[in-house]
Amino acid sequence: MTEKVSQSGMIDRTQNMIERAIRRNIKGLKYLTASPVKVGLTPKELIYERGTLRLYHYLPIATELYRVPVLLVMATTNRAYVFDLAPGQSMVEYLLKQGFDVYVIDWEPPTAEERNLTLADYTQEFIPACVRQVRQNCGEPDISIVGYCMGGVLSLIYAASHTDGPLKNIACLTTPVDWTKMGLTSIWADEEHFNVDKLVDTLGIIPQDFIQSSFEMLRPASRTAGKIRMWEQMWNDDFVKSYRAFERWGNETLPLAGEYFRDTIRELMWNNKLFKGELVLRGKTAKLSDITIPVFHAIAEHDHIVAYGASKPLLELVGSEDKSEIVLKGGHVSLIAGPNAVGRMWPRLSNWLGERST
Amino acid sequence: MSQNATDPVESFRNLVTEFERGFDTLANRFMGTDEFSQAMNQLQSMQLSMQKAFNDAMANHLANFNMPSREDVLRLGESMRVVEQRLARIEELLLEKTPYSAVSRPGGPPRTRLPPSQQGKRQGNPK
Repeated sequence: MTEKVSQSGMIDRTQNMIERAIRRNIKGLKYLTASPVKVGLTPKELIYERGTLRLYHYLPIATELYRVPVLLVMATTNRAYVFDLAPGQSMVEYLLKQGFDVYVIDWEPPTAEERNLTLADYTQEFIPACVRQVRQNCGEPDISIVGYCMGGVLSLIYAASHTDGPLKNIACLTTPVDWTKMGLTSIWADEEHFNVDKLVDTLGIIPQDFIQSSFEMLRPASRTAGKIRMWEQMWNDDFVKSYRAFERWGNETLPLAGEYFRDTIRELMWNNKLFKGELVLRGKTAKLSDITIPVFHAIAEHDHIVAYGASKPLLELVGSEDKSEIVLKGGHVSLIAGPNAVGRMWPRLSNWLGERST
Repeated sequence: MSQNATDPVESFRNLVTEFERGFDTLANRFMGTDEFSQAMNQLQSMQLSMQKAFNDAMANHLANFNMPSREDVLRLGESMRVVEQRLARIEELLLEKTPYSAVSRPGGPPRTRLPPSQQGKRQGNPK
């Protein structure tokens, strides 16, 4: 009896494998000739632009909104459509459905003329300008900010240096605060070997391929393993669609303004000034302990870009009494767009913001 | 469990994961050394020196031909950016003087949504 069941199971599996192999070959041809996957499909309008900066407003979906709007701040190295990869895999869509009025700061590649943009320009000019635009656009005096990765760092610096500002809540998604714990990145950018001045003075703009290869070197086998997995799953349309969206996003890394890169390396990485509370930009001190508004932090346990130890200390450093943290099993990107994000992070973030957005 | 052990697809997936983990761990161990960092940065420094020498030579040629170099054009662009930045600041100062309600869009959904913990308390609450 057991032998018969085992035989029939074996036949089923073989049939399944053959079917998948056929579908894999048919879909493989489609994959090779397919046009780039469409991303960022949730309707939005551009409400403000200034050089590299773009501020978009997503059109509300819900019939009743929370009073306080949410401003998403994207990392300067990547495109903001990771918040809105595809219908059903979109943090923006989720927040809109939950009743939030959502705005996003996205970045275009800085032009050569913008090579002199500094960390102060991003945190003391760009974010405040966007905050003003959002307040004017929606007519509400308060605002919540959600920053991802370096977008979280910029948001924290803004919050710490504008403590009398209109910020009501701040949520950081995998945001580094202790830059000495950045793992391989700290070693490669060691002051002893890495000549940031020569790099910035020669190139002006830090090229896209420099940024992308720095990310890829952290996990050198990932691209190859990902391709193999994708080939094996070629029969699975959902997997391929999601893979292609992530792949496109990963390939569309942005170049960085040289002075901003120099500031990041010198002030944050080498001198760890944000962590120590010594960061001064345009005469304003950005001390994390001065942040007293509610703070939410989502950390990825297996983040290979922002190591767990680099982001973990945030809640200890801020002066807020109302602070929450969620640690998820995933990695840097899956934290905001992977299955764990859909099932755990988005609902937690939405709930947390919802309780504080009236 | 026993099915997984005999499933060649599952075994293949595990193999790929193990390859990825093993290779990354090995590579990270190697790339995490001071020697690697030093060598990588020396190589980069050499490339930058070559690029700088090329840029300088090109700028000299252009100067000899009485033509603006890339640096000159960029400086011009930067001056424009500074002017734009000042205009943006003036615009923002004006914006600050305008009351919020004066420019806020009419006809949007009402901003009356209750926190999740209180939503059940309101009857006929729209989702």
